[in-house]
Amino acid sequence: MDAFYIILTASLFSISCGLLGSFLILRKMAMVGDAISHAVLPGIVIAFLMTGTRDSFDMIVGAAMLGVFTTFLIEFFHKRARLQTDAAIGVTFTWLFALGIILISLYAGQVDLDQECVLYGEIAYVPLDLWITQTGLIMGPKAIYVALFILLVNIGFLMIGYRNLYMTTFDPAFAASIGISVSLWNYLLMGAVSMTTVAAFDSVGAILVVALFVVPPATAYLLSHQLKTMMWLTVGFSIFISIVGYYLAVAIDGSIAGAIVTIAGILFAVVFLFAPGQGIFRSKTKQTQDATIEPNLFERENLT
Amino acid sequence: MRKYIGLVLIGLWLAGCSADQQTASEGPLQVVATTGMVADLVQNIAGDSIEVTALMGPGVDPHLYKATQGDLKALQNADIIFYNGLHLEGKMAEVLEKLGRIKTVVAVAEGIPEAALLKDPNYEDAPDPHIWFDVSLWAQTVETVAKTLSKAKPDHATIYQQKAIDYKNELLDLHESVKKQIATIPKAQRIMITAHDAFNYFGRAYDMEVRGLQGISTLSEFGLRDRVDLVNYIVENNIKAVFVETSVSEKNIQSIVEGCRQKGHEIKIGGNLYSDAMGEAGSPEGNYIGMVKANVATIVSSLNPEPVQISTISE
Repeated sequence: MDAFYIILTASLFSISCGLLGSFLILRKMAMVGDAISHAVLPGIVIAFLMTGTRDSFDMIVGAAMLGVFTTFLIEFFHKRARLQTDAAIGVTFTWLFALGIILISLYAGQVDLDQECVLYGEIAYVPLDLWITQTGLIMGPKAIYVALFILLVNIGFLMIGYRNLYMTTFDPAFAASIGISVSLWNYLLMGAVSMTTVAAFDSVGAILVVALFVVPPATAYLLSHQLKTMMWLTVGFSIFISIVGYYLAVAIDGSIAGAIVTIAGILFAVVFLFAPGQGIFRSKTKQTQDATIEPNLFERENLT
Repeated sequence: MRKYIGLVLIGLWLAGCSADQQTASEGPLQVVATTGMVADLVQNIAGDSIEVTALMGPGVDPHLYKATQGDLKALQNADIIFYNGLHLEGKMAEVLEKLGRIKTVVAVAEGIPEAALLKDPNYEDAPDPHIWFDVSLWAQTVETVAKTLSKAKPDHATIYQQKAIDYKNELLDLHESVKKQIATIPKAQRIMITAHDAFNYFGRAYDMEVRGLQGISTLSEFGLRDRVDLVNYIVENNIKAVFVETSVSEKNIQSIVEGCRQKGHEIKIGGNLYSDAMGEAGSPEGNYIGMVKANVATIVSSLNPEPVQISTISE
């Protein structure tokens, strides 16, 4: 069952990350996952200083608060200081990470404390961390339930908010003119991103999460400029890389997260080279036609 | 499209069910240990009656250890799992603890009384995990291991108890011998400077002043002033050698050597100490006793004004 548990957990998290990542890529905020992975450090340190323990629960609470704060700061710098999103992300997470390091050297230099050893989980251990009910019934790995819950919340959020997210992503000015609050939807999306990131860190570790936010949706983007198609492709790629990545890890007896991300990268390269519309090896005539396509010139879809 | 995903998942479920059915293996007890030190401890007590697998190999910093698919399989198939405890294994320890609900999982540090642990007075719940540097403390873990093994294999219990007593005595002899060796260094020279704060138990047990360049956490880099203070301290106390560790980068300690040189104080790198991991399997440093002896030989020969024959560190 181990194989199934690991692949299922990886697939569920990677679908969550990929769906949110599709929007992040189009908003030029793809590296927000990486930013959160660093920026949670002060949250962990503060949680430790307040509770004196390194239990996962306290660490996750601390990390989640900082995750939300990070996305809030990024939005704030982007909107108020009119910084480009990448610069806003860079300023925010480097500053918060540095703050965390200073807090450690000031107050907790003698305690082993960093994300790696208190927050990041390891996907290989998913089958070991079981949910056992009080009556002693073994319900299977806890991470699967967490991943499923997060995915359902994300799907619910995207189904309710799809139209508004779509409008605020592609044409914020138009969205604002018809009364959609651009900031509100930004914050909601960022809230979903923080929640997903921190939960996934705890279950499957950081490298995997950061990559899952970017690589599958970026691969899908090479194949389609229809948002809905892009999201469906992302779902397919997410499952594909989880399965193939897992068996690569088995074959080479290596890190599972590393293997999944490697497969994701290879898949991206293959699509990049051979994609019918965008690939390097496409016909010359097509190239000139496609050259003008920009994300903000996406065809209007039938919004439902 | 939704239908297809459902089908894929169901297919996977079936594949998973058929492929992974494992039957409990007959034969020697399968034991998994996290670090090489713990594996060596278990091996010494159990001998050939069990098969021990260490997850972290020679030269692996427990901080940087990444689990592989094979490690998961080893943990799943294990009858008993031993780990160091005291948060040395980080988040992995939490997973192991939870695994303890369905398997025998034991932290060897369990057998050490609370009062013997080194703690930061501000954070009582976070003791220093590097207990194996005080040989007398490490000797106290022997009983925990012997008890666990005896329970799992009652027919071997008397052998385990006997071996445990022998090994414990061997360790206590080693403890005395290390004490004597370190005492040959003049008190004023008994200062040990290493890359990260792993040797505090060693310092306490063998009366040495220990200074680390880096805190226990790999993220707590020392500040500029700490660096300057350390260089001044070395020059003032006329310390002759600093030490590097096999599982930690040499770069930081190099910067101290450079700093001292600029102040006109020549300091040499005293050699490699085994800190968080042992030497290659099969080499003399590939077991716990050999590792301690190698460390002590390195320390004594670098800090002692008189050259000491390594062979005098007796069995």
